[in-house]
Amino acid sequence: MSSAVQLFFDAASLGGIYAMAALGIALIFGVMNLVNFAHGEYIAFCVFALIVPSTEAVAVMFLGKAPAILLIPILLAIGGAAAVASEYVVFRHMRKATPVAMMISSFALGFIIQNALLAVYGGRPKAISLWPDLNTPIALAGAQLPLLQLIVILTTLVVVCALALLLKKTRLGLEMRAAAENFTMARLLGVRANVVITGAFALSGALAAAVALIMATQTGVADVRMGGQIMLVAFIATVIGGLGSLPGAVAAGFLIGAASILLQGFLPLEVRPFRDAFLYTLVIICLLARPQGLFVPSSAKPRI
Amino acid sequence: MSKLGVFDVSVRYGKVPALTDVTLHLEEGERVFISGPNGAGKSSLLGAISGAVATSHGRIEMDGDLLTGRSPEAIARLGLSMVPEGREIFGSLSVDENLRVGTGLRRDRNAVEGDIAEIYDAFPILGERRNASAGALSGGQQQMLAIGRALMTNPKLMMVDEPSLGLAPKIVDQVYDTLVQLQEDRGLTLLIVEQSSTRAARVGGRMILLRSGSVVGDGNAADFAETDLLSEAYFGKSNQEVAQ
Repeated sequence: MSSAVQLFFDAASLGGIYAMAALGIALIFGVMNLVNFAHGEYIAFCVFALIVPSTEAVAVMFLGKAPAILLIPILLAIGGAAAVASEYVVFRHMRKATPVAMMISSFALGFIIQNALLAVYGGRPKAISLWPDLNTPIALAGAQLPLLQLIVILTTLVVVCALALLLKKTRLGLEMRAAAENFTMARLLGVRANVVITGAFALSGALAAAVALIMATQTGVADVRMGGQIMLVAFIATVIGGLGSLPGAVAAGFLIGAASILLQGFLPLEVRPFRDAFLYTLVIICLLARPQGLFVPSSAKPRI
Repeated sequence: MSKLGVFDVSVRYGKVPALTDVTLHLEEGERVFISGPNGAGKSSLLGAISGAVATSHGRIEMDGDLLTGRSPEAIARLGLSMVPEGREIFGSLSVDENLRVGTGLRRDRNAVEGDIAEIYDAFPILGERRNASAGALSGGQQQMLAIGRALMTNPKLMMVDEPSLGLAPKIVDQVYDTLVQLQEDRGLTLLIVEQSSTRAARVGGRMILLRSGSVVGDGNAADFAETDLLSEAYFGKSNQEVAQ
């Protein structure tokens, strides 16, 4: 019983991180058909914003010293600002470019951010200690869980609900949904392309910051390469969920998290190190079975 | 000053010309049909006016404001609204949300609710299904929604691209009755792409005939049905001569 509870919470918290990262990618894809591979670097950028710029091996907390009530909004704002700035500097000038050209530019931008972090902070991973108390285990339903896992799950739920509310109830949300479905038509009705795209980047960057806070707390490491792995999984989640579908991205993020934890838990010991091979085999099967995405309703046919 | 002035406008897609030096004018409150065969440049003309298609030459003015070079959203904000070919309603949004997308540009925000109520009065079926997803509406209902949505921007000039496309003749009658009624109520200027000259003649108004990207005729829609210009536009001069 307790191990089942344990697995459930592991899956939900890992899935929550993937879901938030996938949402960040899906939001931007929805409004401008850009798969933003720099998204992982926004996450790394936000983690490094917590510490004092230095190439020393020992990290000294900078923003990370601030109390949570200040730190969280400040870091969300930093993430949003970084994403908006990258749109302003790079992607705004590529509105008429092909999706592939934009994607390549996002790769390039990712490398530039990563190398800037390397130059300022050095290549060695640094140990950081953000809210260490959250990793203390607590007993729940017979399982020992770090408090952080519960917080991650709650945070994901709050973020997803807040985003859903924003999309459903606000003017910006209405314009973003309309633009995601048919950008030209939305513009013909007076929806400002710049407002919608800037809004999508700001939300996406804030989501990256939320992921950064969770990863920094959970792993206790700041590494310039940390964005790559999560970006890959998040991108796969957006594809499996159906590119551009926000609920699909969330669901697929949770699904990949759950599959990953279940494989870790139930694969025979000798093949467990090769878990990712099994995970990505499942991904291939998903894509073969439903290339349009697992969670795209069949009613969503291309319109005439 | 005319409501809409198109001066020597050319549009090309790569090297392929779609419109060549088109000049036309619309007066305030006028109803003008654009007709012509497939590939004549009708949709390119509407695209150029709305800002969705770039022009390679010439200028377009509405109420003396230069439209050329402005973004579609800036042009919409000057009072031009579009009911596009194929309707292009937002299928994943509700009927009500579709009507609200275009209200962001309005300064008279408090008039929005009253206007939505008016749309529901004019199209009761939309009112009944206001919370349904717009993708579930029938073709005729989607056409009504596309018209209602365009009206919600409170336009001075409305362009309608092939309102009869894919609709049963009875529904097309309804759509035109509605457009004419709306025009009378609101003093709208209407620019309508309509392939069928008999339809245009029946509704009444001025007709501009396009062929191969150029204006080849301009006059009363009712007169066109009688003349050779129309078959000329559709089949070319030589064909006409052969027929004689």
